[in-house]
Amino acid sequence: MKHIKSTLTATLALFAFAAPVWPAPVSLDDDDEKDEEEAEPIPEEDKDSYFLLENAEIHTGTGEVLRDASLLAKNGKIVEIGYDLEVPGRDYYLDVPEEKVDFRVEILDAQGMRVYPGLVSISSSGLAGTSSDFRNSVNPFSQNMVLGLATGITTTGSGRSAVKLKRYISQEPPLPYDFDGIVLSDRTYSSMSYNSGSSKRSLREKLQRAREYLLAYRQWEVDVKEDKELKEPNKKGVDSTSLAVLKGETYARFRADDRGDLLAIAHIAQEYGFRPIIDGCREGWTVADELGRAGAMAIVTPRARRDKSESLVREGGSSIENAALLAEAGVPVAIVPASKGVSLDGIVGRDIMHLPVEVGFAIRGGLSEDQALASITTVPARMMGVSHRVGTLEVGKDCDLIVTDGDLLHYQTFVQYTVVDGQLVYDKEEELFFAHIRPRPESELAPEAKLDAGENPHEEGEGEDQDEGDGDGGEGDDD
Amino acid sequence: MILNTILLAASPLVASTSGAPDILAVKVGKAETVSDGAIHHAVILIENGKIAVVGEDLPIERGIPVVDLGPDSVAMPGLVNAYSRQGMDSRGANDARPGQHASDELYPAYREYADLLEAGITTLGLYPAGNGIPGRAVAVRPQGSTPEEMILSDDAYLKVLLRSNSGSKKMLKDGFEEADKYIEKEKKAREKWEKAKEKEEKDKKKKKKDDDEGKSASPDDKKDKGVGPYVPPEMGDEAETFQQLRDRELRALIGIGSAGDYLHLIDAIGEEEFDWDLRIPVNRSLDIFHVKRELGSLGCRVVMEPTLSLHPNTRRQRNLPMELTEEGAKLVLVPRSDSVANHEAWLRHTGELVGAGLSRDVALRAMTQEPAELLGLGERLGSLSAGKDANILFFKSDPFEPGTKIQAVMLEGEIVSGKINQ
Repeated sequence: MKHIKSTLTATLALFAFAAPVWPAPVSLDDDDEKDEEEAEPIPEEDKDSYFLLENAEIHTGTGEVLRDASLLAKNGKIVEIGYDLEVPGRDYYLDVPEEKVDFRVEILDAQGMRVYPGLVSISSSGLAGTSSDFRNSVNPFSQNMVLGLATGITTTGSGRSAVKLKRYISQEPPLPYDFDGIVLSDRTYSSMSYNSGSSKRSLREKLQRAREYLLAYRQWEVDVKEDKELKEPNKKGVDSTSLAVLKGETYARFRADDRGDLLAIAHIAQEYGFRPIIDGCREGWTVADELGRAGAMAIVTPRARRDKSESLVREGGSSIENAALLAEAGVPVAIVPASKGVSLDGIVGRDIMHLPVEVGFAIRGGLSEDQALASITTVPARMMGVSHRVGTLEVGKDCDLIVTDGDLLHYQTFVQYTVVDGQLVYDKEEELFFAHIRPRPESELAPEAKLDAGENPHEEGEGEDQDEGDGDGGEGDDD
Repeated sequence: MILNTILLAASPLVASTSGAPDILAVKVGKAETVSDGAIHHAVILIENGKIAVVGEDLPIERGIPVVDLGPDSVAMPGLVNAYSRQGMDSRGANDARPGQHASDELYPAYREYADLLEAGITTLGLYPAGNGIPGRAVAVRPQGSTPEEMILSDDAYLKVLLRSNSGSKKMLKDGFEEADKYIEKEKKAREKWEKAKEKEEKDKKKKKKDDDEGKSASPDDKKDKGVGPYVPPEMGDEAETFQQLRDRELRALIGIGSAGDYLHLIDAIGEEEFDWDLRIPVNRSLDIFHVKRELGSLGCRVVMEPTLSLHPNTRRQRNLPMELTEEGAKLVLVPRSDSVANHEAWLRHTGELVGAGLSRDVALRAMTQEPAELLGLGERLGSLSAGKDANILFFKSDPFEPGTKIQAVMLEGEIVSGKINQ
C-alpha cells in the first residue's frame, strides 16, 4: 500500500523586467498597458484551487459506494465524483509557463482506504472556540479543533450556530484565513421549552397567539387588495420564536425525556403543524409510533442510562434500542455522546472524540449501519438546515470528507485524513496524538523497523562517543 | 583616512588642557559593533558623548587619554530594553486612549533606574499600561532628575493590545474609520469656508461696484467682519493617532498572545497599510510557530523574552525566537520581567538562547540595534559606529559567557557605573 500525498503547487517565479520595450514611454497605448498587466504574477488567493482524491472506496452518504473511484473538488466544492478524473498540471495545461499558472492542485492517494462525508455533530462544546461569536473568536490552531478533526467531525452545532472546524494551514505564499466561511448558519434552531409547569401552560398560549396572528395576516393579505387603507394586523404580544417555528423558518428544539412530555410535544406539534426536534428523548422508544406520526426528530445518546420510575406501571427508562426503534418508526435520529466537549479525564470514550463509538452502541441496539452513518452526517445537517452544504458527498456540496483505514463504525478504525473545503486539514501521521498507533508504514513518526538479532543498533551511529552503555541510550539529548 | 579623523578629532583637546576630558580613546580586545560585526584589537574614540570612530589598531594621537582594557576585554553597545514598565505602576485603564503618553507617568526619582544602568541598560522604552490602545510609549535614558532630562523620544511607538474577540478587532477598524470621518469632516469644513470666502469676496466686489456707482453702503454691517483664516475642525485623539499611523509618522506595537490572535489581527487590519511590529510574550506553550512563515514573510519585528518554550502538551523544547528569525522576522529581546534581577540576568538568558541555536549576531542585535529602531532611535543608538551616542558596555570577557560581569557602563560618553581606568 502506498499513500502518496503530493502538492503540485506551482511556485511563482519573481518577474523581472530586463528592459522596457519602448525606449521612452511618452504615451503608453492600451496594448502596452495590457502587456504589463499580464506579466504581473497572479495573486495566490485568485488562483483556482483543485483537490483530487484518488483510488478510494467512496461512501457518498447517499447509500452509494464507489470502489477505486476519484473525487475532484474545485475551490472547496465537489465538482465530480467518478473514474479517471483529470486535473490541470498533471493531465492537461502541462506547458503553461510558471507565471501564468492560475491554479494549484493537491492530490491525495487514498489507495486501500475508505472515504466518508465529514461527520456532523449536532452539538459540541469547545471545538471551534468558547465564544458564540465564532467569526471573531475562533482559534484555528486549538488542540480541541485538531481532536475534533481527528474524530472526523468537520461541522458541528454549537449554541445556535453551525460551524466548520477549519484549521489554518500555513502555505507558501500564505493565504488569508476565511473567517466568514466557517459559520454555515447562525440560526440553526429555535429553542422552545416544555418541562416546567409554567412553560407547559405558556407554550400552547404562545403558539395559539402566533397562529391567530398568521391567520389574521393571511386574511389581511387578501383583504388589502380590495381595501388599500386596511391596517396590517398588530404583531404586539406575539412570540417571535413561535412565529418562526410556525412559518417553518427554523425547527423547534425541545429538551424532553419523559414519555408524558414526549407525547404532549407530539400532540402540540401535530395540532400546530410543525416538526419538533427532541433532544434527549430517553423514553422515545415507548412512544416511537406517536413521535413518528408527528414528524418528530430525535437527538439521542445510546449509552445514556436511567431506570424507569418505580411508581409507574407503564414501560419507561432508557433502552439501548431507543435509536433503532425510533428510526424504525420514521423518526430521524441524530446521535451525540454524553459529554459534548473533549474530555481528558474520567472514563475514556464518552466524549465528543468518540462520536463513531457512541453510534456503535446504537447499532448494537438494532440501528442499521446506513441509519447509523446518517445519524452523524445527513440527519444532523438537516436538523440544522445546512444539508445543502454538508452531510453527503455530492456534486455541488462542500468538499468536507474523511479518509479512514477501515469501516468508519469499527472500533479499530482511525481517521487518517480530514479534508475541509477541499483542503487537507488533518493528517494522522503529522499530529502527535495517534500517529504512533498502527502508523502508516512511511510515517516519520512510526517506530523504527525492528532489528534482526545480532545486529548492532549503534553501527550506523556517530561512532566514537558511544561508550556510555548500550540499549536505550540513542535518543537522549545532551541538554 | 581614519588616522586623519583621529588627528582632527584630537586637535581641540590639545588646546583645552584643563577640566574633564571630553575626548577619550579606549582599547579593547574585541568590539562587538553590531553594525559592522566584531572588530578585534579595537580602538574606540569617544568625543563629546558621541562615538567618533571605531577601528582595528588605530594609531592614537599623543595627548589623547587612552585606556587599555587588555586583550580579553569586550565592548558592546549599551542594552536597549524597548518594552518595560520599570518605575510605573501596573494598573492601566481599560478604555482605549490612544492620545495618552507614558511620559506623563515618568518618575525620575525611581531608585531602580540606577540598578538598571548598572546592569547595562542605557535606554528604556516605557509603554503605557492598559487594554486596547492605551497610548504612546516613551524612550528614556535611565538617568536624570527631571522627565525632560530623561526623555529621548515621546512618541516611540503606539501600544495596541489585540485579542481574538470582536471588541478587539472592532477597535482597530473603528480607529481607522474615525480617521476617515475626520478627513470627511475636514473636507466639508474647508468647502464651507471656501464658499463663505467666495461669497465674501463677491460681496466685497459688489460693494465696491455699488460704491463706484455712487450708491450708499449696504446696511448689513455683519458681513464686514470677514470670514477670517481657515481653522480646521478639532481632531479627536483617536482620529489623530490613526492618521499618524497611516502617514507612517507613528509605528504600532501590537501585542498578541497566540497564533490565532495573529490571524485575527491580519483580518482586522484588512486593507489598511501602516507600520507595525508585534509583541508576543513567550510562555511555556506559545503556539506562534504555526504562523512563523507568515510572520517571517512580513519581516516585522517581534518583541520576545529570551525564554525557551515547549511544544504544546509535550516536553519538546522549542527556541521560538530562533525559529522566527530563521524565517525572516526581526527579533527584539526584552528581559523576562521588569524585575532588576531579570535585567541583570538578561545577557545570561540571551546566552541560553544562543546556546540553543540562536545566532550570536542576531542575539546582539536583538538587544541593541533592533530595539533602538523599534523606539525610532535607530540613527542615534544601538551600535558602536561613528556618530552614535557613546552608550557602551565594557566586559572583562565574553558578555554571553555565564559569570561575566559588566566592568563599566558608559552613557553618552560618561562612565555611570564601574571603572575603566584600572
